[in-house]
Amino acid sequence: MLEARLTQASLLKKVVDAIKDLVQDCNFDCNDSGIALQAMDNSHVALVSMLLRSDAFEPFRCDRNIALGINLSSLTKVLRAAQSDDVLTIKAEDAPDVVNLVFESAATDRISEYDIKLMDIDQEHLGIPETEYAATIKMPAAEFQRICRDLSALSESVSIECAKDGVAFKCTGDIGSGSVQLRSHTDVEKSENNVEIDLTEPVSLTFSLKYLVNFCKASGMSDQVKLCLSNEVPLLVEYGLQSNSYLRFYLAPKIGDEE
Amino acid sequence: MARTRSKPAPKGKPSKEAPIEPVTSTAKRLPPAVTNAPKLFVLPKDTSKDTRVVTLPNSATGTPSRYLFCAEKGFYEFTRIGAAKKACKSWLITSSLSEGEKEKGNGQDKEEEAKKDAEGEMELGSGFLAKNPDLFIATPVDTLFLLLPALSPKSAKDAKAKQHFLSLDDHLDNLSSTSPHWISLLAQFPQLRTRIEKRLAVICDTVDAGDEIMYRLSHTKLVAVLVKKAERMSANGLPASLEDKFIKTALEVPIMNVKREESALSETTCTVVEDAAAATTTTPSTNGESQISVSVSSMDSQPSVTTATTTTSVSATVTEELSTPALTTPPSIPPLLRLRTSLTYLSSAYIPGTLHPILTPLLLDLPIFAPLATHLAALTSLKTEALSLRSISDNITRKRNFEDDDEKVAEREEKKRKKEEDEKKRKLESRAVKQLKKVDTSGMKKLSSFFTKAPAKKA
Repeated sequence: MLEARLTQASLLKKVVDAIKDLVQDCNFDCNDSGIALQAMDNSHVALVSMLLRSDAFEPFRCDRNIALGINLSSLTKVLRAAQSDDVLTIKAEDAPDVVNLVFESAATDRISEYDIKLMDIDQEHLGIPETEYAATIKMPAAEFQRICRDLSALSESVSIECAKDGVAFKCTGDIGSGSVQLRSHTDVEKSENNVEIDLTEPVSLTFSLKYLVNFCKASGMSDQVKLCLSNEVPLLVEYGLQSNSYLRFYLAPKIGDEE
Repeated sequence: MARTRSKPAPKGKPSKEAPIEPVTSTAKRLPPAVTNAPKLFVLPKDTSKDTRVVTLPNSATGTPSRYLFCAEKGFYEFTRIGAAKKACKSWLITSSLSEGEKEKGNGQDKEEEAKKDAEGEMELGSGFLAKNPDLFIATPVDTLFLLLPALSPKSAKDAKAKQHFLSLDDHLDNLSSTSPHWISLLAQFPQLRTRIEKRLAVICDTVDAGDEIMYRLSHTKLVAVLVKKAERMSANGLPASLEDKFIKTALEVPIMNVKREESALSETTCTVVEDAAAATTTTPSTNGESQISVSVSSMDSQPSVTTATTTTSVSATVTEELSTPALTTPPSIPPLLRLRTSLTYLSSAYIPGTLHPILTPLLLDLPIFAPLATHLAALTSLKTEALSLRSISDNITRKRNFEDDDEKVAEREEKKRKKEEDEKKRKLESRAVKQLKKVDTSGMKKLSSFFTKAPAKKA
């Protein structure tokens, strides 16, 4: 029996909105520590990993480990019926055929209830080791989104070069080239505007901009985004959520045939 | 593809408690069907008293079949004439005595009587309703066909070995071994023996051995007999259905592409018509151009316009003329094909299988069929040409033709199902997912090469 109550339906709405364009179907693995999700895109070069800890819900109850195989576009359709500040309750039996979603509007005493048919999804589950990254950059999520969007107009891929003095996003395309330089920056009044660069050694990697733009759809989830890079290792883009929950994206770097 | 987990909607189980009510009907019970229902036969007239039905091996297949034997007239075979399975038909048979027409005791009249019955003239109580709408007709069959199983080699292996000359008695022994009925027939009717001897002489080489004549099947003689029979069969034309299936379609000349006429041709005709217009003349000879003359005379005052109209119509006429078939069927061909069709029918219906490999080449290589063979060869080459000229659009229909195989059909269904499923899946994909598919991922390793695979269930 699973029963998880989110005070803000918007959290799930945003999570699903952020990943539905990357993966179509995925398993929501529910256990007593929370709800986790791991899925790869069709070409298996990007991975999304989400964890909503049980603290994020009130209350959270999960007796057995359950995998809820859900088609994300179906879930989107149902979540569209929820208002951002509705209270959302996720319910499922121990061997479920359907997952039950209840939206309660405190203001109007309106209760709507939806069932989504579940699917058996055969997905590889990858073990992701805790890695010490050579470079960790924290910056405003909106800033990262803007950089990606601007550079994607020029080129397919961006090279992220981290050095002591800052980080540079550079790209070269048919119409020309562009680069954005960021330095460490502390905004005393608004801490969300901080740019922090933590570097142990210089790193320079190239990534597909289309994928990064896709990751940036999660920008609304959190004010800050964390980019972690190491040579020859996938880039980690992490959006921190409330109560230690997170939404992480991994993207394989472009290695070899660099122009 | 992942399926939704929902179980199919629970089906309402048939409740066991429901009492099974016997169906009661107010209608009067019909008597149970008779297992050995009477059959209707049409038998020859004026047969001798000893006429009987005998079981003899079928000349073509060797399976025991029923024949009607009359000592004077010889053998008759039965042909079953049935209605189509779906057609709900049956016979109403009443005895002719009850009607008071005692002289009409023959089986042939049963049908008529049935009709009269329907008119309600008589009591139906003594009638019988036969469920089976079959009618058996006895038609005379040449005795020599019945002899063939005894004369022909027993198996394909024996066919290569030379057949020996045997006396009539030996042949009759052979014959008797095929069916016990032959023995009784031969014993009872001495005239049958002379009949057999006569027919044997027609198809066998003979050798005099003292006072006895020895017989051996002669293929050339048999072929000659068959051809004669086939000629008689096809003399008055074949039945319409056979004609349709084997003659007309086989001789159909494919219609080749219509070629446009050369411009020079149209120009010349043009000038001719122009002259005609100037002189305001009468109808040109050909039928197709008669229309032109009308337009010419009506637009007399404007010769320039007239020529313009005529040009088009003249060219149309010429095109029509060119569209006549590339190959015409000479009048001698259809009768030949009919003859050959009859021969094929005869040999498949009456000749034992072991003789086929010997007789078929003999029959088809008869010199009279030479023009037919060349004509058919020309036709096939034309047909293949026409087939290759066909447009791509009717490829589909041709494709269907040779996929009769159940396996292939199943394979195709499977493919179709998969395709549909894929299609469905693709429709569910969001636009962004589709866009991501197009992203150039060259140089990007799969994530599974960075991260180790973990057991699917991670606590």
